Amino acid sequence: MSGSTTTTTTPRQSRVWLKFIKHKPALISLVVIGIYVLAGIAVVCGMITVKDTANAYGAPFQPGFGLSNSPEQRLDDAEWYLNKLRIPLGSIDAKTALGEFPVSDLQAADRSVDELRTALATGDDLLQQLKEVSDLDTTIASGSADGLELQQQIVALEETVAGMLQLQPDVGGLRRWMHLSLGTDRLGRSNFLRAVYSIRVAILVGLVTGIVSVLIGAVLGLAAGYFGGWVDVLITWLYSTFASIPNIVLLILLVYVFREGTIDTAINEATGGLLSTLLGGSRLDSTLIPVYVAFCATFWIGPCRVIRGEAMKLREQEYVQAAQVLGYGNLRILFRHLLPNVSHLMLINFSLLFIGAIKSEVILSFLGLGVTEGTSWGVMISFAKDEVVNGNFWQIGVATSFMFVLVLAFNILSDAMQDILDPKHV
Amino acid sequence: MADNFLTRVAATIPWKYIIRRTLYCIPVYLGILLLLMLILRVRDPVPAFMGKNATPAEIELKRQEVGLDKPFLAQYGHFVRQLLTFDFSEESWQQKGRTVGEIVGGGLGPTLALTAPALFLTTLISVCVSLIAAWFRGRLTDRLLVFFAVLGMSISFLVYIILGQYLLGYAIRSDGFAPFAISGYQTIEQVGLWSYLTSKWPYYCLLPVLISVIVSMGYDTRFYRAVMVEESQRDYITTARAKGASESRIMFLHLLKNAMIPVITRVSISIPFLITGSFLLEMYFRIPGVGRALITAVNQADFPVVQTIGAVFAVAYLATNLLTDVLYAMVDPRVRLS
Repeated sequence: MSGSTTTTTTPRQSRVWLKFIKHKPALISLVVIGIYVLAGIAVVCGMITVKDTANAYGAPFQPGFGLSNSPEQRLDDAEWYLNKLRIPLGSIDAKTALGEFPVSDLQAADRSVDELRTALATGDDLLQQLKEVSDLDTTIASGSADGLELQQQIVALEETVAGMLQLQPDVGGLRRWMHLSLGTDRLGRSNFLRAVYSIRVAILVGLVTGIVSVLIGAVLGLAAGYFGGWVDVLITWLYSTFASIPNIVLLILLVYVFREGTIDTAINEATGGLLSTLLGGSRLDSTLIPVYVAFCATFWIGPCRVIRGEAMKLREQEYVQAAQVLGYGNLRILFRHLLPNVSHLMLINFSLLFIGAIKSEVILSFLGLGVTEGTSWGVMISFAKDEVVNGNFWQIGVATSFMFVLVLAFNILSDAMQDILDPKHV
Repeated sequence: MADNFLTRVAATIPWKYIIRRTLYCIPVYLGILLLLMLILRVRDPVPAFMGKNATPAEIELKRQEVGLDKPFLAQYGHFVRQLLTFDFSEESWQQKGRTVGEIVGGGLGPTLALTAPALFLTTLISVCVSLIAAWFRGRLTDRLLVFFAVLGMSISFLVYIILGQYLLGYAIRSDGFAPFAISGYQTIEQVGLWSYLTSKWPYYCLLPVLISVIVSMGYDTRFYRAVMVEESQRDYITTARAKGASESRIMFLHLLKNAMIPVITRVSISIPFLITGSFLLEMYFRIPGVGRALITAVNQADFPVVQTIGAVFAVAYLATNLLTDVLYAMVDPRVRLS
């Protein structure tokens, strides 16, 4: 970072951009991150609501990509739909009851109640017959005459079920396909919607944690490195203290502090109920704020340490001494002269913290301390652990892939930034 | 010879530096304890433990019983005195009849059985892999290794655990063939040392250790590779080449020896975490280690256990920091202690 630029070469800044544009993987990663951010904004704007992530969209454990289940599972799926229809059809005012069909995207077909009841009976009969076959999967897989007949019966059953249902008027076929494209979890919720909704959480947690921690770290690190003396001693003491408490203990404790409204009451009492008006009556622990606080309190140490070291080096540079001789104030030197010269470190640390935050959120969610409203990749992964035992990998696969792509993009981007902005770093 | 070597090593121990650093650690440690105790008291621990059904009188009684009614400074002094005299006889709130010392000490064995081999294997494999990567620097092998390291880093720890446990612990089981336990643990006291080492440890711990190695390998390999590449561009390597040393001699003798310093640093940074262990692995595989004890204690608001584990970890952290700096200076004469 020393002033190697001479008047004949292009200024450093534009050279960095040139290098960056030439770095293909980094550019691709940037595009990927951009897509994620756009998706996150779309979710924030209400494209997908919390309700969408909680509703059932189809039978449980449906595989994605339009694949079909094993015959046994297909029976279960048909039974699930039949049961969903049985409740409204069994009630006295079936017409109104059918109006609130419990599966999203779908509603009962435009047929009279009697027709639907007959179809239900037919479906039940077919289901009962098929259920009595003991080795359904193997018979059909063998391809024998019996197997073919059973196969036809299953198709007939599924057609009966399909005949009783139709898409809601405002739901197109493509939208329905998208909702089911990545399968359903064990409550029939759409993996696609849940994974996309989780982007919001990931981006928010990453951005807020990254920006706030880097800013705290930069300010403290610069002050420690520039002033030295007791300021340095104090700040070094502060971060070694924070570092000596196990990270996970600190995280858990900080999130716990927010539980059951302890902090809320304290803030409300101090400010005269300002917080409850701000949040509209809901409590802090239903938002992401405890997670932000916990992450920022633990994550500022890394950037602070690095930037302190850099500031100690920069303090001895001629331009800083020149600024001192010119009589500039300390604040001006800190923020106008030193801060831009550690901005590359801030950028690199930001992307590292972004990754760290996303990955730690998964672990917090596993402990039940992360996201409490809606969902996140962490919630999905820990929820999927019981599905894996049943051989259903769709939810864990989807959540992992979504997270994997984003984290990989950030990893590649931060590597490229490190290579370009800070080549001497090991 | 050995005696001679030992005295020579002993002569290089920087006693003055150690004493000064230890003295410096005392205020730091007191500060850590202060912070830890303050954080633990932000949400009043007694009502949190007693639950919603407890009457104020009951809460007050419990508070007096455990001494949390005293002023903070008195509690602070009491806790510091307990730590100084190694008095870990405070009773856990949740597990009646067990002292804090028993809980932490009992968890230490299983945790170390998991973390120590994992750290050793990770370091060994990562150093080897990074040597290979540095040897083929810039070529396909190197790029592939780095690529896989980044790929491995981008997957969540939880996914490795869930899939590893399912595939290696559960799915490959068949009659009479069960190489890895799905979960569980047996201590040395329960099964005897020989049986523990030959059958029980591999059965219960090998799979978590493997998962832990795979997870940490991405980070370590990349870091060590960067160190090796940096070292391989130094002048002494050029000198060695110029004087005609063979490539393998340069790699293993010149380069590896010098690259050992960052390796030592990184390993010693991880040493305090050997104690707290990987709570995720311990929870998924039901290994009764310190990490699991800690999470359980936090979940059940078992205040003394959390406080003690925090304090013990902080000691380990400070001690290894000090040890690293001293070792550093003893291994590398270029490092000046100030």
